[in-house]
Amino acid sequence: MKFRGKIIDIACLNHFTRVITTISKLTKTCVLRLTPDNLFFVLSEKVANGGVSMWCELSEANFFDEYQMEGVSSEDNEICLEVTPENLSRALKTVQNAKSVKVKLTKKHCPCLTVAAELPTLSSSSRVVTHDVPVDVIPRRLWHEFKEPNMPDFDVSIYLPPLKTIKNVVDRMKNLSNFLVLEANLSGEMNLKIETDLVSVTTHFKDLGNPPWGEDASQAPSQSRDPEAMVQARVDIRKLQQFLMGQQVNPSKAMCNIVHERVVHLILLHEDVSLQYFIPAVA
Amino acid sequence: MLLAPVANSDMLDTTSTTTSTTTWQFGRSSGVLDRAAKPLEGLYACANSTSVARRNPEVVVFRSAFLQNISIDTMPLLTQSQADDEEYVLVASLDNARNLSNILKAITFKDHAIFSATPNGLKVTVEDSKCMQANAFIQAEIFQEFTIKEDLVGFQVNLTVLLDCLNIFGGSTVPGVSTALRMCYKGYGYPLTLFLEEGGVVTVCKINTQEPEEPIDFEFCSSNVTNKVILLSESLKEAFSELDMTSEVLQITMSPNQPYFRLSTFGNSGNAHYDYPKDSDMMELFKCTKTQTNRYKMSLLKPSTKALALSCKVSVRTDSRGFLSLQYLVRNDDGQICFVEYYCCPDEEVEEE
Amino acid sequence: MDCVVTGGNVKVLAKAIHSLSRIGEELYVEPQEDGLALRSVNSSRSAYACFLFAPLFFSRFTTPSGQTFRCKMAIKSVQAVFRSLASLEKTVEKCHIQLDEQKNRLTFTLHCKHGLLKTHNLSFQDSESLQAVFDKDSCANEFRSQPRLLVDTVIHFPQSVDEVTVSVNDERMWFRNHVEDEAEQARAMLTELCLASDEFDHFAVKSHGSITFCLKELRGLLVFAESTGLPITMYFDEPGSPVVLSVTDSVLEGNFVLATLSEDAGHRKNNSRGGRSPQPPPPPDDFMNDDMDSFIIAMDTSMAPGPSTSRPSTSRSDYSTCSKQSTAANHRTRHRSEEEEEEEEDNTDDLDRPPNKKFCSLFFGSVLPPSSQMTTQPVISQEVLASDSEDDPQDE
Repeated sequence: MKFRGKIIDIACLNHFTRVITTISKLTKTCVLRLTPDNLFFVLSEKVANGGVSMWCELSEANFFDEYQMEGVSSEDNEICLEVTPENLSRALKTVQNAKSVKVKLTKKHCPCLTVAAELPTLSSSSRVVTHDVPVDVIPRRLWHEFKEPNMPDFDVSIYLPPLKTIKNVVDRMKNLSNFLVLEANLSGEMNLKIETDLVSVTTHFKDLGNPPWGEDASQAPSQSRDPEAMVQARVDIRKLQQFLMGQQVNPSKAMCNIVHERVVHLILLHEDVSLQYFIPAVA
Repeated sequence: MLLAPVANSDMLDTTSTTTSTTTWQFGRSSGVLDRAAKPLEGLYACANSTSVARRNPEVVVFRSAFLQNISIDTMPLLTQSQADDEEYVLVASLDNARNLSNILKAITFKDHAIFSATPNGLKVTVEDSKCMQANAFIQAEIFQEFTIKEDLVGFQVNLTVLLDCLNIFGGSTVPGVSTALRMCYKGYGYPLTLFLEEGGVVTVCKINTQEPEEPIDFEFCSSNVTNKVILLSESLKEAFSELDMTSEVLQITMSPNQPYFRLSTFGNSGNAHYDYPKDSDMMELFKCTKTQTNRYKMSLLKPSTKALALSCKVSVRTDSRGFLSLQYLVRNDDGQICFVEYYCCPDEEVEEE
Repeated sequence: MDCVVTGGNVKVLAKAIHSLSRIGEELYVEPQEDGLALRSVNSSRSAYACFLFAPLFFSRFTTPSGQTFRCKMAIKSVQAVFRSLASLEKTVEKCHIQLDEQKNRLTFTLHCKHGLLKTHNLSFQDSESLQAVFDKDSCANEFRSQPRLLVDTVIHFPQSVDEVTVSVNDERMWFRNHVEDEAEQARAMLTELCLASDEFDHFAVKSHGSITFCLKELRGLLVFAESTGLPITMYFDEPGSPVVLSVTDSVLEGNFVLATLSEDAGHRKNNSRGGRSPQPPPPPDDFMNDDMDSFIIAMDTSMAPGPSTSRPSTSRSDYSTCSKQSTAANHRTRHRSEEEEEEEEDNTDDLDRPPNKKFCSLFFGSVLPPSSQMTTQPVISQEVLASDSEDDPQDE
């Protein structure tokens, strides 16, 4: 079981750091799955118990100049680690001006992801900093818990407005209420609503568009649905806020799927990074 | 008149000396602007230019005007119609909601705010412990539309909630990006309804209202003013940001002789005095007739720092009873001028009661 | 005492007071023949700092002739005088410090722009002289660098890191965060940074080794050194004896004296770092040739074959094999306990020692009972040179 990756390009390093920082804002710990082509950051709290789950997929080729990994075995050519993304983010943030950064799996006092950077200096010799981030190696028998979640059988799928706008609105709504109703229909309209003893606030977004989910019947919203009819989910504002707060990457596509009164499924796509986030609805 | 264009170098004299009945409907005070425009000198010349836009409403198409239409066309949920619009006793529109939210921030230290609207504009009052009162004045001219069907419309709302609503889109300070606002009120028992729009996104807020309480009358009359100075806010900001908060009081000394204008604190580890000479270029006006030293509770005065931060000038006055009046001239994003005023009882007075 | 500071020196004075505030809660003020001394010490007396401003630093400097005066005051209140540090340079033209012995007041008067006059009358307490005993010139190791080098080094250590270990050999200096106990260590991020000798202005090593000290005070000094642009010189000998960090120019001298962890704790630390050698760390070139084999995580081979992971398993037998570590968390616990067992073996000879100690109060005999350990270190075998009012009650 070996892993080693090297980033030389500053823009890639920057991007990679932003992705990790985004994840660190979403969860304290998560699972990092390394495969020959991809890195996955996975959080799977049980939605049924009110927890959120997350699935973030990165293509190694998009970030690493060198990438070598050897999984547990040739048939299970993967490595599964439990990591603290905040530590990784912190380690990466201090080496943003590095000439090169290596991320490798090492055996130190415990298994570690070691971030080793060669820093520029005024002198002839290089300055080297290493951060050993402790990780836990997850045994194969538990891997099944970290599979890509199924696309829920949603009632409405809609493109999200600029995340910055939603964030502003949600931040204010958070000051006013603990819960928020997110509703959308098949006519490209989405509303954010709160209601308390003091105030009711509704923000109306329109002309957002509904993504075409193709022929796959299981993923296509029911054709019989009234395009004006709103499908809604009441969620804990903090969970939505956490998702919006963490966004360091401006996605090229942002979508939201709603299963009526069950779950909100958020999807962000940016180049070769995709992030999915599930927030369960509350009564 | 409560609110009229300011155009007078002595402008910060808001005290009611006139017999205007309109003024007295508000309890007292009045008026920042009850004097007719004098030839402009110095300070407030720019204040006069602020109403230009309003004089030509047909030329300028205001963004906030669209909110009326937007609410009808695109919001099936809202049953608002022209007929509804006619039911409102108060409708006020702004192209830039910050022009309202900013000045309200200057008086946000308690949740309850008393709104009093007259044809001259809007006055918002916040009080603390019957010893301190803050008023924000937004003249009708500041609004692109200001329609009021009664001489006086009053209600009370939660100011923190109102501010969150006004800033729902984040209160962007990026030039060219602003939130348009249309604020409507149907009358007693109805919520205050806000329609806000930015970048085509519309937010509708309904804020519950209560019956307005009667604001305290501090009976601060300009005829009783003993000492008065006008300072550029810049110079006071520094002092207020450095105030020793372990001191229970802020002592203000105003005198025709040294130390002229002095702020003092008495904290755990010693005392501090900030002296402003009368001939400082920070001092716009110095009119002190008698040496007066009064103490005010730090906890009461500290919130006024918010008003100070927003303002460009401040007038500090004390009357013969030692009551303090602080008046702040606040310039909004569009260069228009509004006023915020704080009254505070001296500490001794309170103890004597 | 009556002294006047003008121009940019006001900011230097203010920055010095701010960096002293990172050390302790009280500021000891002592006007001397050779200048104004400002000092502070922390409550556990393991860190001490002193700035001496020469008479030439001031545009006026007079001390009460013939009599010595010393006082101490809450450092916060002095900091408050210079609260708007950022604008200080632009707003303050002159700072006048005056002693009023009748009223027991030290008065700071700031003459600001636009005629604004800020007068702070601060009360003080009498105090004995505060002097730490250290002899930096006899230290075996001496390093001087521009403040930037240390600022760029310290930046890699998060604020939560309390202590760093510095190791040196003839060519290099290493910084590592120090993790106190083993439970913490399993989850703590370990950071190590290596500086080559040619990054320093002066690099003189007579004794190879490692010392561990608090980062907080170093950060405090860096704020001062960076704003004044003065190089920092670091002096140290061996674990347990203090490290001295100095800044000097023609009109001022600042010395920060910090206790270091004594040998046994340092040794223990090195053991607990697992594979890391107690001697200054591996050759610098390791960055260039990673040995892939060393990354094999041995424990993985111990795993049972387990169910095929491509489909979620529900079979009873799978659960039974998993019963002891059904979650990743359990798995982690097990792994950690293995590590701990190793540690315990390593440390059995340490068992009679007290549990992990913090830094001793190295400079002030008054708060330290004599111990055999200390007598081996000449620096601390000195007499009590200072006492605190807490130790020496003075009812006033």
